[in-house]
Amino acid sequence: MKIKRRTWIKAAAAAMAAAALPGCKPQAHKLVPYLLPDDEIVPGVADWYASTCDECSAGCGVLVRTMEGRAKKIEGNPDHPVNEGKLCARGQAAVQSLYHPDRLREPRQRNRKSSGAFEPITWQKAIGVIAEQLRSAHGRIVMISRPLSGTSRALLLEFMDMVGGRLYWYDPAADVPLRTALSLSFGHVGLPHYDLAGADYLVSFGTPFLEQWLSPVSYGVAFGRMRQGRPTVRGHFVHIEPRLSLTAASADRWIPIRPGTEGTLALGLGHLLMTEQSEHRSNHLRGSYEALFGGVDLKRIAIDTDVPTDELRRLAKECAGARHPLVIGGGAACSHTNATQSLMAINGLNALLANIGQPGGVRFYRSHALPNHGEDQTVPWLTERLAQALLGEFESGQPSVLLVNECNPVFSMPPAMHMDRLFARASFVASFGPLLDESASLADVVCPSHHWLEGWGDHVPDAAMAVETTSLRQPAVRPLYDSREFGDTVLELARAVRPGFLPVKSFAELVKHHWTSGFGGISLAEQEQQWISSLQQGGRWKDDAKPLSVTARRPPTRLDPASFMGDEQLYPLHLYPYPSMTMGHSGAHLPWLQELPDTLTTAMWGTWVEINPATAARYGIAQGDIVRIESSRGSIEAPAMLFPGIRPDVVAMPVGQGHTSYGRYATGRGVNPLQLAVPAFDHESGAFATGATRVQIEGTGRRGRLVLLQQPAVDASELIQVDPAKPIL
Amino acid sequence: MAEADEKEPYRWGMVVDLDRCTGCEACVVACHAENNIRISGEREAAEGRAINWIRIERYWEGEYPNVKAKFMPVLCQHCGNAPCEPVCPVYASYHTPDGLNAQVYNRCIGVRYCGNNCPYVARQFNWFDPHWDAPLEEQLNPDVTVRQNGIMEKCTFCVQRIRKANEQADQEGRHIRDGEVQPACVQTCPTSALVFGNRNDPKSQVSVMARSDRGFRLLESLGTDPAVTYLKRLS
Repeated sequence: MKIKRRTWIKAAAAAMAAAALPGCKPQAHKLVPYLLPDDEIVPGVADWYASTCDECSAGCGVLVRTMEGRAKKIEGNPDHPVNEGKLCARGQAAVQSLYHPDRLREPRQRNRKSSGAFEPITWQKAIGVIAEQLRSAHGRIVMISRPLSGTSRALLLEFMDMVGGRLYWYDPAADVPLRTALSLSFGHVGLPHYDLAGADYLVSFGTPFLEQWLSPVSYGVAFGRMRQGRPTVRGHFVHIEPRLSLTAASADRWIPIRPGTEGTLALGLGHLLMTEQSEHRSNHLRGSYEALFGGVDLKRIAIDTDVPTDELRRLAKECAGARHPLVIGGGAACSHTNATQSLMAINGLNALLANIGQPGGVRFYRSHALPNHGEDQTVPWLTERLAQALLGEFESGQPSVLLVNECNPVFSMPPAMHMDRLFARASFVASFGPLLDESASLADVVCPSHHWLEGWGDHVPDAAMAVETTSLRQPAVRPLYDSREFGDTVLELARAVRPGFLPVKSFAELVKHHWTSGFGGISLAEQEQQWISSLQQGGRWKDDAKPLSVTARRPPTRLDPASFMGDEQLYPLHLYPYPSMTMGHSGAHLPWLQELPDTLTTAMWGTWVEINPATAARYGIAQGDIVRIESSRGSIEAPAMLFPGIRPDVVAMPVGQGHTSYGRYATGRGVNPLQLAVPAFDHESGAFATGATRVQIEGTGRRGRLVLLQQPAVDASELIQVDPAKPIL
Repeated sequence: MAEADEKEPYRWGMVVDLDRCTGCEACVVACHAENNIRISGEREAAEGRAINWIRIERYWEGEYPNVKAKFMPVLCQHCGNAPCEPVCPVYASYHTPDGLNAQVYNRCIGVRYCGNNCPYVARQFNWFDPHWDAPLEEQLNPDVTVRQNGIMEKCTFCVQRIRKANEQADQEGRHIRDGEVQPACVQTCPTSALVFGNRNDPKSQVSVMARSDRGFRLLESLGTDPAVTYLKRLS
């Protein structure tokens, strides 16, 4: 029997009715799988689609409210194990990336040699041009993509294999040193589940887990539970970072540590746990950790880290006394030349506290990927050191074809890495992003992909979870423009290079195939049922995930001190660039996020430099003065923000602004502090040590404009001075 | 005002647990998306004319290194004795039977007395017509009016959601269940710091939490009888 589209929809509707049993959440009654045909859309009545947010790699489940075929609002999916119905600011703002006025509306081509301007072309031509380049450059192809999971990852791996290319993941927020440290410490590739909700004592070494670290909504949910979710226990939280970040502001205690000494402090803590607090923990690891934690000088540590020994003892005592202590590291701890070693020392603390695999500790699970997601193959992260090697290769040998998918290395890697030269040296560059960002504008051909609200896909959470979770993405709206599903572009390119590549009609079919074959053994009709109910639910989460028993391998035997770039006399201050809490590395194009006040400064629409009031006084700088910040690489200017929560020897600047091409709301706004960053790499992982640059500052004598939500009602200069000694009359 | 409340089935209120709030601002964007709040732009924002129905207030305490930053989401407190209501010459600002402090946009003549009288700075004035670069306006929520130049606006506790839930409950011949209605900010809050519900139901989560010994209300001494209870942060 041939099933017509009409019958198909009816079957789907029947499945929906079956799902609408009493006891379901109200939204579930209205969850629609697949796009409705026009005649089934009722004006003024909302239809809801379950899908998966793609604004970062966390993969929160969402319900998209659509009316008259337009997406109106994105809500968290209450049933989804990652975010439990909650969503972050970025996820809420995703509708603005769908309706962004500067989205590319069709493929474009640029003639690098003549005018350099982009001209619209047809998809047929775009595919033809890229395929020709791929054919002639077999074996000399490099693809840089944002990290993908599930079917799109599997497809891309197969494609790169076929064309003979190398694939790299690139995400400026990936915390590559942390991943490297985890695989060295535990011999397991992949992020663990940090069980914040079950912890009663949390020590965080620089992790911005309440901003946008790894899976911010799930950490937010867990943090709420850690604080107030248990009737008698309120989890205690200590944060260690040179700057009082938004995450630090939620801590019970903030320890302003000297930049780059996180590992040193971890050594001291480990030493105390082994020597003075050892009776609290059964410790079979003692021997193997002796080398690292054994012979340390606590006085030396206090001087190096600028954390008093009393504070260290208190930390050790509290850690040892807690039932479920947990130590996490990342963010600021990932930004130095000894980052991987530091994080391995931090991992060692968890091993000493015997919380690996325990509730409230560091738990490892098997990946939730389906069997055909190609999880056995690992994709290397494009670290800055690797990018430098790639540039060397492009400049000396035969130039390669460069493919770039939804990432912007030209902007987000520090300018000292000269990613623009990599693009210029490539024989041909194709980009698949939705906007003409700094990287795409250096491409020869730009093929805009669908927004995630317009496309299909499946998603496996980056960090494994206690519940086995695989999510689905389905179109909530019809494509606005002449863009294409990235997976379909890959399929077409593959077939243009080698006809007959993968016998599927479309990427959507491939997703469905992977999904239904993942069930195995059941009849076709049952598979269809499963598929439809999975679409309505937004994915599949059923069993408790399979825990992995992971052993803490030998810790590193040494910890190098972090090195800093720039003479200490000439450049007395540390530059501390941190991803903007509102926009992150890539959200500057969204007006809602531009106008979202940074919580700690209440600043909007720009860049500023945070200076401790005491330091500012020493340099004669007042709030709002334009300050020149100079490193050995050059100088930039930004208005001063007097910030009480920062070490006097550190100046901090948010990263995310300073775009030269990223849509109308971001272009030409603010400055990029990474312009000052002097190349220095984490030894083990090769990630850029963004915290290693030394700077000096000076006032320029000019006043700048800080756009603040919280302003004094009256400026002090506007007050009329009344001398109380003299009678007024 | 408050006297009639006891006979009504609903009296809406909110609890904000400051021990859970992390200042992530998800609520702020959710509110913008739900309520068609304009994008003001850099210039207007610099002049203090950016509109936020909910904002995170930040307070520094102490000096480095013993410094703390504390924050608090502040929205319209939907006061039982609302100072904004009696001063409105055209009854644009009034109290609904279910305890909402409502603003009737098409009555408002923009005298701004209400904004002047609000101790919480919850009311914000539209100095300009709103503008969305096409196709950003496709996102606008058809359930919520777009406010023009000359109109005062404020948090409504997402009244469109409350009314929809009311209709649904009426059709099914029942009362709205606890947790059935959530304003956009409450729905998205990752740490569940915000809780919304019926204060006339003593068993509702919001009533139970509001009785906590950590509870306090903003500028309570003014006698405004706010519908929002804050729970004190513990550190």
